[in-house]
Amino acid sequence: MAETKQVIVSVKRQAGPKEGARWEEFSLRWRPSMNVIICLRDIAENPVTRGGQKTTPISYDSNCLEEICGSCAMLINGRARMACSALVDQLEQPIRIAPMSKFPLVRDLAVDRQFMFESLKRVKAWIPIDGTYNLGEGPRVSPEIQEKGYPLSNCISCGNCLEVCPQVNEHNQFVGAAIISQVRLFNMHPTGAMNKSERLAALMGPGGIQECANAQNCVHACPKGIPLTESIAEVNRDAWKQALLGWLAG
Amino acid sequence: MSSTTTQPDTSYLLRKLHSFTGLLPVGAFLAEHFWSNSSALVSRAKYDATSQELQTIPFRLIVEWGGIFLPMLFHGGYGIYIWLRGKSNVSAYPWVGNWLYVTQRYTGLIAFAYIGWHLYTERWLTHGTSTYESVAMDMQNPWYLTFFVVGVLASSFHLGVGIWNFLCKWGLAATVRAQQAAGQFGALVGVAFSVVGILIILSFRFDWHPFSAYLPPTK
Ligand code: SF4
Ligand code: FES
Repeated sequence: MAETKQVIVSVKRQAGPKEGARWEEFSLRWRPSMNVIICLRDIAENPVTRGGQKTTPISYDSNCLEEICGSCAMLINGRARMACSALVDQLEQPIRIAPMSKFPLVRDLAVDRQFMFESLKRVKAWIPIDGTYNLGEGPRVSPEIQEKGYPLSNCISCGNCLEVCPQVNEHNQFVGAAIISQVRLFNMHPTGAMNKSERLAALMGPGGIQECANAQNCVHACPKGIPLTESIAEVNRDAWKQALLGWLAG
Repeated sequence: MSSTTTQPDTSYLLRKLHSFTGLLPVGAFLAEHFWSNSSALVSRAKYDATSQELQTIPFRLIVEWGGIFLPMLFHGGYGIYIWLRGKSNVSAYPWVGNWLYVTQRYTGLIAFAYIGWHLYTERWLTHGTSTYESVAMDMQNPWYLTFFVVGVLASSFHLGVGIWNFLCKWGLAATVRAQQAAGQFGALVGVAFSVVGILIILSFRFDWHPFSAYLPPTK
């Protein structure tokens, strides 16, 4: 046990969206409860490849380091997951780390998830409470709705559910499971429900809920265990009722 | 992207129509078709009578085109378009639902090709007057026979998974438990159709009529 245990990490490097990509391998000193972010930090401390070549620190996003900010999603050994909760001891080595493939690349492992925020805006994923005068108290939220809504409110906009979805790709503009689940959350809230039909209409636009093909990958990939397939089914039911019966029954 | 509109996009309506036509009329027709052809399991004469009966329904062309051919053409054609807009990733994420997503596309294509060929040989070439004799003749050809078996299995699978998809996608089965039950129901339909379909093929191939005992004794 004299020699120190090493962790072999292979990282996909790309200086920018238009530059060529290459893989760099690093050998790091193993420590207990190491996660992928720690690996990336170690590399930043001493950016030298396994072959002894000097290189640059790796660009990536992270913040909370406790799977709550959603910024550190990447492909680890080919699967979309959060780097801060990906423990080295549970990963096959060499650990291959690549950026998410469904979002525009910024540099190395950093991607631009603006698409998700634009989609959230498009479906009005909020509850409007501002007015030019005091709107007073809103209706009470029943304990049942609180209980149903809480898990949905755990979404950290990491984008894993979009990354694993076969329907999210360059051929269409599918908004993805997270956004649909947020529509469910805000539509079930008694004040939020006042904009329900607008949200549903936005979800029946281009790239809307119709693009879901029920592969159900999203629910497996969500780090927060959000019942995404249930959300999609419920929003789907509300949507077709509005589309089909809206013009009949008003 | 104007957010004030309340009208669904055409792609929404076409997608819903695609999903719906898969069940009605296409799925329903498949059920009817298997049911009618099951008469071969009783006797040759029963099959010919059923066939005759179907060949002489009123408004036949309208029913065939409006209720069967055109909806099938739309379901298949739009299904291919949907396929082209997806990008499967089952090797990276080999989960059951993801496998079904992929197989649903391949079985759909096989079923579509098979049904096209089946219509051509059994409806077009026979001018809509197929008999037990003519079908049994076709079944002697090992290539025809293989294509029949593959086509029946692909169609049955596609219908079973399609029912599961339908129940999930219209929100009729929303909770995890309900979706599990919907999946079991879809599997049951797929297996039942496969078994019945294969029995019908065996009946034609081997002149086999297991339900002939239902017929009144001939004396
Ligand atoms: S639903 Fe889950 S996987 Fe999707 S963005 Fe939110 S937390 Fe991430
Ligand atoms: S760093 Fe915040 S989720 Fe990983």
